[in-house]
Amino acid sequence: MGDARARLAFDAGELSYDFGAEHPLQPRRLVALIDLLGTCGLWSRTNEQQALALRPATLEELSLVHTSDYIAAVQALSNAGVDEQGKDSKQLNQLALKYGFADGDTPVLPGMHEVTSRIVGGSLVALSAVMGLPEGGAFASEEVRPLHVFHPAGGLHHAWPNRASGFCIYNDIAVAIAHVLRASEAKVLYIDFDAHHGDGVQRSFYDEPRVMTISLHETGRYLFPGTGDVLELGRGLGRGYSINMPLEPFTEDDSYIEVMEALLSPLVVSFAPDVIVTQHGCDTHAWDPLTHLSLTMRGIQAQVKLAHQLAHTYCQGRWMALGGGGYDLYRVVPRAWSIVWAEMSEQSLPDALPEEWVDRWRPVWLSVEEQEQAAQQVMGKPPSPAVFPLQFQDRAQDFPAQPRRWEISSANRHTVGLVRHLLVPPSVRQAFPSLQRQSPLAGLFDLLHLQGSATPSRSKALETSAGTLLLRDFCPPSMLERLRPDAGLRAFARLPEREMQLLMSIAKRPDCALTIAHTPDGVIVGQVTIAPGDEWWEGLDNVYEVAIEVSSGWRAMGIGHDLLAFALELDALEDIILFAMGLSWHWDTEGLGMNVYRYRELIARLFASQGFVEYPTTEPNISMEPANVLLARIGKRVDSRVASRFLNRLLSSPNLSGL
Amino acid sequence: MIVRDVMTTKLITVTPDDTLSHAANLLRQYQFHHLPVVKASTAGSKRPILEGLLTSQDIDMAAAVGSLSSTDLLHQPWQERRVVEVMHRASLRVTPNTSVAAAAQILVERGLNSLPVVEYEPMEQEGAETKPILVGLLTRSDLLIALARSLGAYEPGMQLIIPLPMGNLTPLAKTLLLAAELHISVRSVMAAPLEASIPVSAVLRLGTINPAPLLARLQEAQIQYSFADVP
Repeated sequence: MGDARARLAFDAGELSYDFGAEHPLQPRRLVALIDLLGTCGLWSRTNEQQALALRPATLEELSLVHTSDYIAAVQALSNAGVDEQGKDSKQLNQLALKYGFADGDTPVLPGMHEVTSRIVGGSLVALSAVMGLPEGGAFASEEVRPLHVFHPAGGLHHAWPNRASGFCIYNDIAVAIAHVLRASEAKVLYIDFDAHHGDGVQRSFYDEPRVMTISLHETGRYLFPGTGDVLELGRGLGRGYSINMPLEPFTEDDSYIEVMEALLSPLVVSFAPDVIVTQHGCDTHAWDPLTHLSLTMRGIQAQVKLAHQLAHTYCQGRWMALGGGGYDLYRVVPRAWSIVWAEMSEQSLPDALPEEWVDRWRPVWLSVEEQEQAAQQVMGKPPSPAVFPLQFQDRAQDFPAQPRRWEISSANRHTVGLVRHLLVPPSVRQAFPSLQRQSPLAGLFDLLHLQGSATPSRSKALETSAGTLLLRDFCPPSMLERLRPDAGLRAFARLPEREMQLLMSIAKRPDCALTIAHTPDGVIVGQVTIAPGDEWWEGLDNVYEVAIEVSSGWRAMGIGHDLLAFALELDALEDIILFAMGLSWHWDTEGLGMNVYRYRELIARLFASQGFVEYPTTEPNISMEPANVLLARIGKRVDSRVASRFLNRLLSSPNLSGL
Repeated sequence: MIVRDVMTTKLITVTPDDTLSHAANLLRQYQFHHLPVVKASTAGSKRPILEGLLTSQDIDMAAAVGSLSSTDLLHQPWQERRVVEVMHRASLRVTPNTSVAAAAQILVERGLNSLPVVEYEPMEQEGAETKPILVGLLTRSDLLIALARSLGAYEPGMQLIIPLPMGNLTPLAKTLLLAAELHISVRSVMAAPLEASIPVSAVLRLGTINPAPLLARLQEAQIQYSFADVP
């Protein structure tokens, strides 16, 4: 086995989370998983380096997320199931109705308080171990403390603070994250890969800027729970920290992978989390009876690999993975979550499933196969082949291509464009171009300097009250490499080193122009980027977005004004449309000691000095928050038809369907 | 559904003597567009008497006029003008028992964005006229939220469409019976006529993550259903 500091948390007590033989969620899927891992020699509960001791969550821990009346109701219903049906049954029925236990999804289960507390405790211990908090347990040394933990019984993402929903009673994910918020200063990134929207977790942290929730799910237009629209963005201070990527039914692997790659890295960079929590509901698989995303193990493997890579690139490896949905119990769940564990513990999987395991579990699947096929059919899906897999990976021939593939993947691309436009700050967006956008330009430089200037990169000295600064436009990567960022340069990626990486990626792109201000000894204190308008402006030529940043220690000296003026000394200035979006959630108003409206005025004045005018717009980021502002400058030689198309776009409807 | 069910009751108000600058700040701070203007009723009672309504449009207009005109009459900056000078009297009002449909019709026909909701309370001394006591505000947003709520949008659930050929409601009735039998909660049912005057389909919001058992029963009973974009 690899020397990855990874553990798998599992406790046989968790198997009592069992709503009965007729219920789609069966704990036996975990038995099949543990059996598969054991048979392959990938995990053993007796190996102290691989296992993690769990304990139930306390009432006090549950109450970090759940309301006390709800916890009391769960306890009452949980105990009542054990007792004789007494005279209180009417009252209990009312409790069940009020708190979401009255339907077949999440029926009252005797002892459910205890078993769900155990699962919640498992996720809380697992995340605490990853974070080095005392609740994670004591370890012989820091070197053996796990960096990654997989808790397959966790992932109850639908539970609300005050009700049960969608097979979930308590929300282990939300409680574990809330515990970290309380016990440390850390920021937590949650990525929900389940086919259903992660509504309970989103709801628990909807106004919390220290938790970013990202959910990739089948669109809620028809599927449970019906939420997870792109425009659910968070509330108050949490605005911009709830990200939803609704996917079309029948998305399939290629489109899914493209979506993940276009979204996850830029979002992680812009949030700069300390730890990543992922939920790997494998009901995304084509054989799942409840959903329609149509992935195979290839898509699921890519998802797990990306999560692992993000944890190492951005969070020093801190990563907790959880289970979740997955209702093809024996053909999909054991393989999918073995892939999670193998990736996390850096062990390689054999190609073939062990014969003895197949012999044990194929008969179990055969006994439910007919039901599974019937469910596929009533859900409007093509029948899945009646085969039990013999390999970890899926065989392509078992997954016929969807007829509407092109249409579906372009719909997904539009949604990605909208999410990136709304939630990824401009500099980050430019540093992580989405795959579909290949710039038609030979280079922005040639386009902006039609007359062909003598030097490709101009420079100019600027005297300020803090000394001389050097301004340079079209800054080449070779030059940028010799510079370093000021400590206050972190408006977009939150950490100066990462901000520097962003600048480097932008400098390398021929279709972006990077202008910087630096001190004579090589410290970058300000930057302006000019780049073609993003997906929102698709179809409009000659429209460029301008973004500006001045390091926090260098403000109020007029540097922004001179830097912007210098960056906009372009031959083509009057032939193009430039715009800038001021979004209050990127503003460091605390550091500036002024309210957002004052700052808005400041930005409007800064851009007005270069001929920018404020335009009213229905663009959602601007129209949702009165402090936000869109400023644009339409060059004098811009064709009037082009200008009027731009103005029309400003007032177009806030989704990309019209494009 | 009556106005009481959907109106806003946590109200931010101004008095006739407040300045426009104060009102503008409130509108900006709370991000809305309507401020009821009230004055306290007779001593002892805390219930506010409705005097009028001030909208962000009224303020914009006052600001625009103020910046255009330099005559002596209006030389006072708009910020210092008093609410009573620019507010409407808000003569159109509804009561909490007005039907939502009637209120919606008034809003649309009169081109209004909001209606004050009042109760009439007789004054203490005999013969005095009744005064309108402000109890709520009904805005277009309240109506939209009421619509979303009656579609079940605030409850977790999935959507199912049941075609109703020739407006025959039997498939819907059977579906509801089956849902009850299978303990599937129904968050909302909408079967509104879209063409002619008969409903051609019903849209159900079901509180379940697992519709397969219900769908299987529907097939058995030969009831058509769809999720629209899943063929």
